[in-house]
Amino acid sequence: MSRESYQQELSALREGVVALSETVVDRLELALSSLATGETAAARRVVDGDGEINDRYLELEQKCIDLFALQQPVASDLRFVAASFKILTDLERVADLATNLAEYALEASREVFPEVDVQALGVSAIEMVELAVEAYTEADTAACFAIDEYDDSLDQRCAEASDAVVRHLIERETAMADDDTVQRLLDDASRLLLTIRDLERVGDHAVNVAARTLYMVENDDALIY
Amino acid sequence: MSNALNESKTESSSESAGVTADVSTGTTTAGESDEQIREEWSNYHFDGPAKLSVEDLNVYYGTDHALKDVSMEIPEKSVTALIGPSGCGKSTFLRCLNRMNDRIKTARVEGSVELDETEIYDANANLVELRKRIGMVFQQPNPFPKSIRDNISYGPRKHGDIDTGLLARLLGRDDTEEESELVERSLKQAALWEEVSDRLDDNALGLSGGQQQRLCIARCLAVDPEVILMDEPASALDPIATSKIEDLVEELSKQYTVVIVTHNMQQAARISDQTAVFLTGGELVEYDDTDKIFENPESQRVEDYITGKFG
Repeated sequence: MSRESYQQELSALREGVVALSETVVDRLELALSSLATGETAAARRVVDGDGEINDRYLELEQKCIDLFALQQPVASDLRFVAASFKILTDLERVADLATNLAEYALEASREVFPEVDVQALGVSAIEMVELAVEAYTEADTAACFAIDEYDDSLDQRCAEASDAVVRHLIERETAMADDDTVQRLLDDASRLLLTIRDLERVGDHAVNVAARTLYMVENDDALIY
Repeated sequence: MSNALNESKTESSSESAGVTADVSTGTTTAGESDEQIREEWSNYHFDGPAKLSVEDLNVYYGTDHALKDVSMEIPEKSVTALIGPSGCGKSTFLRCLNRMNDRIKTARVEGSVELDETEIYDANANLVELRKRIGMVFQQPNPFPKSIRDNISYGPRKHGDIDTGLLARLLGRDDTEEESELVERSLKQAALWEEVSDRLDDNALGLSGGQQQRLCIARCLAVDPEVILMDEPASALDPIATSKIEDLVEELSKQYTVVIVTHNMQQAARISDQTAVFLTGGELVEYDDTDKIFENPESQRVEDYITGKFG
């Protein structure tokens, strides 16, 4: 387990992080499509698969701890292991959010809110995760800043979507008499608000990945809060 | 995170061992159960056969009790690191494994060391054969003041495995070809061949320290040992030469059983599969997988030693 195999362990960690991110993105896409189609089997796969992601996450985290304890990485190696350690947490959280989305898909009655395009928000959030992991593998600092900037627009679109849901609710509620209908509408609306909030958070985690990548590549903490 | 880890470790070690660990002074107040704890923590279990089995080993230099009741089993084809402060007995222990302490007149060794289940301290044991099977590499590179080639072929000649002398040739035996093959193979195994293949007849003392150390490893490999004992093999070398030796140790462990003494804890962490920690007084305090020792040792004394709080 000396320098040559140390290099192999570093590559194995990098590959493990990328492979985990690919699974996480798969789950996000599955959750998003089940929100659109109401296909419960796909949603269930996402919910049931979260345990496997947690296991892989813990395994990779242990790899980082082993590297710290046994190999004492320094300089760029140290920043790489430390950044990966943090990025793993963000990826695991994104997987949790994918599980949330899948759970909403299982519950939703799919009342139409024509003002809100959840799919478009979801596609943007997924794209951000993919770009952030690509920046990590390619050590692309320009992409890190671009992701941070792009997040502002996703935040903006999510805020607008939430406003639209609430406005829709207020307008519809006044015209309605039936208590059951009101309750169903309220349930759907809150679920939708949570969906929007979770997608917004996926974007935040993508920015975290980009921020740690920037630190890893250039020892620059500009994007870390 | 590290605090949380430390806390849980302190808790679990005091729980499982039934002692109170005084973190502020870094000592374990154990009393009567100290002996038991040590036995438990140094009782390392592994899959596969033990190459060396040491049982109740005690070593005395005159009246000085240098090694106390050490028992441990060393798995084959792996790297076992022995660490601990100066005077803890780790080098003494290493030298017991091929009976090098026999050469020290005041030293007295009690207990048992078995190589492949055969007692090496048996009165009938063949020391020449033993040291052929268990080779040794020392802290200071010590090549013979001879050519690189002769350094390698010296052992096999002494053991009668090759002969290229005049008498041999007269008697119709000439192992020149075998010798060349042996020299090349040994130097390649020690990752030195590329650097010296064009000057095998130069004096070995003209090599750099790192090259001399790899030559000594090649010399050790030339007699086809099963176990290689290394006593601080990289402590006299610079970081680049050290990393070459470390790479080599890992490579060798695929084929040989390596036991290495080192003052450098980071080196032990990097290259070994299991680590034995000896502490002052000649005790083996803890012996376990290397990641266990460096991430969550059972003994508070080992924790204090590897974190640099004492020793």
